[in-house]
Amino acid sequence: MAKTHDDFFVGYIRGVPRGSRALIILVILAFVGAMSGAGYFISATQPDPGPGRFFFQHKAFTGILETAPYPLVRVAPNETYPEGHTLLLAGQGKRGVQATAAALAGKVVDVGGVLLKRGTIDMLQVGRRVPLQASVDGLSDDAREAIDLSVTDLGTWRLTGEICDGKCYVGAMRPGTGIAHKACANLCLNGGVPAVFVSTAPVEGTEFFLLSDQNGNPIDKELQRFVAARVQVDGQIERRGDLMVFKVDLNSVEVL
Amino acid sequence: MSVKYTPVQWNPNKYVYDLVTLAGIVLYIVLFLKFAPMEIERSQQVNYPILRMRAFGTCAFLLLSIILCIGPLARLDKRFLPLLYNRRHLGVLTFAVALTHASYVIDWYYVFSPTDRYVALITSNVDYGQFLGFPFEAFGIFSLFVLLVLAVTSHDFWLKFFTPPFWKALHMMIYVGYASLVAHVLFGYMQGATDPIFPVLVLFFSATVLLLHIAAGKRETTADRSTTAMIEGDWVNVARLEDLEDEHGHVVPLPGGERIAIFRYDGKLSATSNACAHQNGPLGEGRIIDGCITCPWHGFQYRPEDGCAPTPFTEKIATYRLLLKDGDILVDPKPNPPGTHVDPVLIGESV
Ligand code: HEM
Ligand code: FES
Repeated sequence: MAKTHDDFFVGYIRGVPRGSRALIILVILAFVGAMSGAGYFISATQPDPGPGRFFFQHKAFTGILETAPYPLVRVAPNETYPEGHTLLLAGQGKRGVQATAAALAGKVVDVGGVLLKRGTIDMLQVGRRVPLQASVDGLSDDAREAIDLSVTDLGTWRLTGEICDGKCYVGAMRPGTGIAHKACANLCLNGGVPAVFVSTAPVEGTEFFLLSDQNGNPIDKELQRFVAARVQVDGQIERRGDLMVFKVDLNSVEVL
Repeated sequence: MSVKYTPVQWNPNKYVYDLVTLAGIVLYIVLFLKFAPMEIERSQQVNYPILRMRAFGTCAFLLLSIILCIGPLARLDKRFLPLLYNRRHLGVLTFAVALTHASYVIDWYYVFSPTDRYVALITSNVDYGQFLGFPFEAFGIFSLFVLLVLAVTSHDFWLKFFTPPFWKALHMMIYVGYASLVAHVLFGYMQGATDPIFPVLVLFFSATVLLLHIAAGKRETTADRSTTAMIEGDWVNVARLEDLEDEHGHVVPLPGGERIAIFRYDGKLSATSNACAHQNGPLGEGRIIDGCITCPWHGFQYRPEDGCAPTPFTEKIATYRLLLKDGDILVDPKPNPPGTHVDPVLIGESV
């Protein structure tokens, strides 16, 4: 009278009942197949993180240091930059170099480290071999002459784009932009890394701007609310050598 | 049904189950990290630490979605029941994958800074008042917390310790955890996502989980309604004898919404609560094996006449009094205290 119940699954007694076997085998195959396919294709279709990256060869430069809105060096023409260049500076990790830079504002400095590049923006991550210091040999008069110290006012603009931390954006993280990266960007900005604006449309050939407030000072912490989102901002654009500075009006920022 | 708690009571089914799960996870991660064509159409590769956090984050999302589909699938089609059997191992593995994601995130986005990484995690974005740029990490932290609590309390020791109703309620938190996880992805990654596949999978799985639960819930209420219970004095007429298959259970709803399980075996009838003392499995969908009611979920057993698990086990369920009248089965809707002996109704002697 006792039935075999072999259509009934009791895990500790026997395997999968015959009636379920085909379905369970199908589920197992589907699971393993779907996991493999999903892993492969989700990975393969991730969005392009952009071309920024580190160039891990130590380089040293001599130039004139400016500290507002963020530390930057007007580099005299050299092997790497035959025309000279304006380099943004950052420290190791999520740190700026404001502390060392403060005493050297306007002075001729030596500074070395590794470069990060993306588009027209170059940033030097200052290393230990040639720290940011008053220049040992100084600059020849010719070299000093060759530094483009001009400041040109390009007028008032309304730009659409993203407020980012300059270091992750130029390649310390890929991707170093977008909402998923916002907390990380805020942390960089808190540490003193220069804030940059990436415009969706270029102004005079560049989409990258160093950010400052209207008086040329570092942007207010208030503005972190808008980091990583697509925003529209009004401000004045200034060309310093080959670097563009976007002096934004904090009250004009609008999330799109 | 253990008397002595061992970490895991292994059997071949569990080995197969865990091996398949592990194979799925390993294939997913390896293909994600090593074999997907990363150079194609990208100016630079995604950073390895970010790739890693994405591999484990997306994997945990898929696993949790699959876990949540198993319950309603098994209710809709009993052939899926073997998938339910070892679901807790799947849950614990999912927690491990999610924890790996979270630690990779913390050890990349929140390090290299003068601020402590855990302080940075909760202070570097506090814009809780806005939609775009909302600190979506908070949803992830909450989901991880839920997965942790459930993984830690998944063992039957805690089930006993908390009592099954409380344990069951606690484990219902998985739904809040899943909702929070969907929010984590919607407010975070998906805000900037331009890739086609993962966002589609997120929408597909969250919709599937929802729809399967609605379908399974509907199926049960329809089943309840189609069984018309008629009240005759203190007794409720719940079924016809010929509807009961031998050595099978039969679920019937009482007017109050409670469900009971009726069993026909050895020429006798007995009724118990439909809820298994283990994890509320539906005993009425079980069988009589070796003279005992056997739960379809994990195979806990009870004697039909008194609702007690056979020695050495100690679980007890409520029993009900039955009457058989002209082929109608009547039940007294007042449950007896768990473990109360009730003489089975002999099918030969209708009253
Ligand atoms: C402490 C807890 C958590 C934190 C801090 C956290 C943080 C993050 C961050 C920062 C991202 C964006 C990554 C990127 O740049 O692409 C992310 C994405 C994601 N997270 Fe989490 N998460 C946590 C917990 C979880 C849990 C528990 C799960 C799943 C069970 C999960 C699943 C995902 C998924 C699916 C994504 C989208 C794909 C990706 O970018 O990885 N997260 N999470
Ligand atoms: S619910 Fe686990 S055996 Fe019944």
